[in-house]
Amino acid sequence: MIKLRNVSKTVMSGSENLTIVQPLDLAVEAGDYVSIVGPSGSGKSTLLGLIAGLDLPTTGEIRIDGVEITTLDEDELAELRGRKIGFVFQFFHLVPSLTAFENVSIPLEIGRVKSANARAETLLAEVGLEDRAHHYPSQLSGGEQQRVAIARALANEPPILLADEPTGNLDSGSGRQIVDLVHRVQRSRGTTVILVTHDIELAGSADYILRMRDGKAERVEPKNSGQEGV
Amino acid sequence: MRFVFCMVLRELRASWRRLLFFFMCVAVGVGTVVALRSTIQSVALAMASETRALTAADVTIESEQPWSEVALSIINDTLAEEPEVERTASVEMTTMARPEDESKAVARVVELRAVEAAFPFYGTFVLDGGHDYRHAHLSGGGALVRPELLAQLGVTVGDNVVIGEIAFEIRGVILQEPGGQLGAFSFGPRVLIDRADLISTGLLGPGVRAERQFLVRVPEERIATLVTRLRERLGEEFIRVRSYRNTEDRLARNLSRAENYLSLVGFVIVMLGGIGVWSVTRVFVQQRIRSVAILKCLGATNRQVLAIYVTQVLVLGLLGSMLGVALAGGLLAFLPGSLSESVTMPVGMAELSYRLTISAVVQGVGVGIFVSLLFALGPLLEVSTIKPLSLLRWGLVPTTSWDWKQIAVVVALVVGLITLASWQAASWEAGLWVCGGFAVVAVVLHLAGQAFTQVIQWVGARVRFPVQYAVLNLARPGNQTRVILLAVGLGSFLIIGIHSVQANLVNAFALEVREDSPDMFLIDIQQNQADGVIAFLSERLDSVPSLLPVLRARVTGVTGQQTTITSVAGVRRRGVGREYTVTYRDRLEANERVVEGAFWEGRLSNQEEVFEVSVEESVRDRLQLMIGDVLRFDILGREISATVSSVRAVDWDDSRSGGFMFLFRPGALEDAPHTFISFIQGPTESVTRATLQRELVDRFPNVSAIDGLEILRTFRRMLDYATVAISAVGGIAFFSGGLILAGSVAMTKYQRLYETAILKTLGATSRSIALMLAVEYCTLGAVAGLIGSFGALGLTWGLTKFLLEIHWVPLPSANLAGFAFTLFTVGVLGVTANWDVLWAKPLRMLRGD
Repeated sequence: MIKLRNVSKTVMSGSENLTIVQPLDLAVEAGDYVSIVGPSGSGKSTLLGLIAGLDLPTTGEIRIDGVEITTLDEDELAELRGRKIGFVFQFFHLVPSLTAFENVSIPLEIGRVKSANARAETLLAEVGLEDRAHHYPSQLSGGEQQRVAIARALANEPPILLADEPTGNLDSGSGRQIVDLVHRVQRSRGTTVILVTHDIELAGSADYILRMRDGKAERVEPKNSGQEGV
Repeated sequence: MRFVFCMVLRELRASWRRLLFFFMCVAVGVGTVVALRSTIQSVALAMASETRALTAADVTIESEQPWSEVALSIINDTLAEEPEVERTASVEMTTMARPEDESKAVARVVELRAVEAAFPFYGTFVLDGGHDYRHAHLSGGGALVRPELLAQLGVTVGDNVVIGEIAFEIRGVILQEPGGQLGAFSFGPRVLIDRADLISTGLLGPGVRAERQFLVRVPEERIATLVTRLRERLGEEFIRVRSYRNTEDRLARNLSRAENYLSLVGFVIVMLGGIGVWSVTRVFVQQRIRSVAILKCLGATNRQVLAIYVTQVLVLGLLGSMLGVALAGGLLAFLPGSLSESVTMPVGMAELSYRLTISAVVQGVGVGIFVSLLFALGPLLEVSTIKPLSLLRWGLVPTTSWDWKQIAVVVALVVGLITLASWQAASWEAGLWVCGGFAVVAVVLHLAGQAFTQVIQWVGARVRFPVQYAVLNLARPGNQTRVILLAVGLGSFLIIGIHSVQANLVNAFALEVREDSPDMFLIDIQQNQADGVIAFLSERLDSVPSLLPVLRARVTGVTGQQTTITSVAGVRRRGVGREYTVTYRDRLEANERVVEGAFWEGRLSNQEEVFEVSVEESVRDRLQLMIGDVLRFDILGREISATVSSVRAVDWDDSRSGGFMFLFRPGALEDAPHTFISFIQGPTESVTRATLQRELVDRFPNVSAIDGLEILRTFRRMLDYATVAISAVGGIAFFSGGLILAGSVAMTKYQRLYETAILKTLGATSRSIALMLAVEYCTLGAVAGLIGSFGALGLTWGLTKFLLEIHWVPLPSANLAGFAFTLFTVGVLGVTANWDVLWAKPLRMLRGD
């Protein structure tokens, strides 16, 4: 499903090259739940951005369902994301001028889904926000905003869900709700989930963990492997 | 499509308050264009009807010879091709009239005009006593005459005058007459009779000098074609065809100047609106970077995102344009009231009414949408450079390197602006001048902005908070310095430029119809009366009048280095076959200058010498004359030859000294029988004026005093319309320009909401923030005003010299006032626009509500 071969990312920092992601190979199968952990600046979010086609790797190739995405242009990448990738951000990134319902509708409208409204309502109900559908982001709490963001990420039923520290900006109660939601989605829909997090407990519920340090990735098995998710 | 449509509605719902200024910029710009266009068209219509009233027709076909069979057939055939045409015939001639009562004064020269029932097509007669003109006044031996004739012949209404062999009953007195040729030299007072009666007078015999005319009325759009067609077909027939819009007419020239100017002002306002649009869109796009990145992250393509914002621009452009049309409608409805004092038309003239015209509305809406798109396109293209990655790495700014799309937009902007300017001003030259000036000022402002931000950093390190913060604000990353400098600098450049051009234009108008222009012409002064007339007039007028000797002459042949013409027919073919009024003198008048050869000094020494003549440059061109060529003239039946010794350019706009195509060296013609004429400025008060005329006639019975006051007044009135329109337009430009500048400055408020909140959180008082804002905006205003003001000086010079062809007078006071106005406006607006920011609670802004 997701294959990375010799993928690295180097940026200019002042007059020097700084390698954020050292060359790595990775294969994530359909339905896998992978956590990426590591300290700040270790390259977690960059790696996630590369998988989502938000940025180009310096070396290597990235395949999503067999499609080499590093050769696609911006619009082709946008279409690919629209069809196959849902993205959840730490800072929610809802469009502030749109209501919760409209935010969830965007990907459906982009994908020309006919029953977009009904689907958006269902999704909001799924994340428990049917009563807040017509509220603007500024009228919602952080946890509610993140649930809207997840509903939006799932709108087109993407086979892949990428989440960049989805609980990083939330209190523990709201964070737990989000984790539950992500788990439920992964299990009920067979969605491939890659989750970047600082939260070891949250990471531990994954099928396996990718630990990053200084741009290098190392695969480790979770301590609570085989246990039920939280 | 649905996605784009839904997003447009949602975006507009969310941002309409911030886009209100965009909307207003378009509305003000379009409103001005529509109001100006409609005004231009209304004024042009009123002026056209006045001009038409002076010729009484759309097209005039004139011949000094009886119509030949060929000419008549060409005229008939050509007019028959017109789908909608009316015509009437008229004859004008100089003849003698005397009272039937033989005990009364001697015969006088009159300008007889014989007309048919359809005359006039345009304009109306104003008769003494308020009577309406009807052709019945003339039918069956009736005549209408100018009041001067009554005085000269000592007759009254009801008396008979004899013209030729027929007695005509005077049935009325003409106070104002349509179809009196503007500026044409007149030999005597007008007498109007029925054309049918002219035949029976026996005056129109063979060899009689009379001007035959066909007056034609056709739809406006057919005039040019008809004139061209007639001229082509009548080429060999010595027939003059002209439209009321004869471009050689000085009135037409003034009209087209005014029209160009008004159109240009419209364009300038649109440009100001465009700057506002650009400023709003730029801020708007900056505020939308995150939303755009989110949309792209969710799968929206560049094309879809661009479509969302371009559609918004189009919707706003359209709505703004429609509001602009409504504003223009309101403005025009209000105009007549405010301007009625200045534009009240005299009896018999067309009423000047201001109303929206369809073509102005269509043009305004088109311009509104076009300008919205043109100016918004640059900032909007930034949308395509926004990367979804910026959601992960905040602070990522759109790439600033130039790609082909940006280059294409710049090219489209430049071509679009030049086309728009040229279209509005009806001149490529004007379009290039304004756009060139615009570009130069924009580049200067851009460079000044860069230099300024460098200098200001140095200054900032040497002053204390809050001035330090204000100064450093101008140089910080993402600052608004260059944006405001560009918007305000260009704005002040255009506004000050317009004001200065307006002042120069009004000044030029005042010069053309000077207060000292002559308004009365004395003719037929005999050689032995010359001293007496001068003495008579000197007693009654403020200045001593000068008399000009005049003779009638015809060119009969040329013996030249390039051209030799031996027959009168040959001369006619060159367009100089008519009889000319010629004079002699030993000096040049103020409105003349020698362009070739040398002007003589003094008189000819004796009769043996070869006569010398100085010709006007159009005569040189028509006859292809060179210095030293010999012209042959028929003067009162005597043939004389004269060597062309100089060519003169005559400023026909300066009517003080008249103008002559042929000027002879003194010493040649003094002995030939001739008369004198004089151009004087008579008393303006009507009773004194009439007394002067009456006394003059009593004392010198053969002298005719032709009153040109009415023609001069008509001229002045028409120029007054233009002046009023120009002043009104200048006012609108100033107001709307100020409004747009205000908005451009106000838009920068959104840039500082956040930082003001932080400053307040850190302990800055509202007072120190207000001071900071005042220093920041006043500095910007001063720099923008200075550059705009200097730019305007260049613009005014270029436009007056090359487009309007008038004398350029620099107006330092306007430039200084413009500078002060810009500084003050930007300073005050900067602070007041941020007023709510000063008093708002910081938490709200920090939470980004």
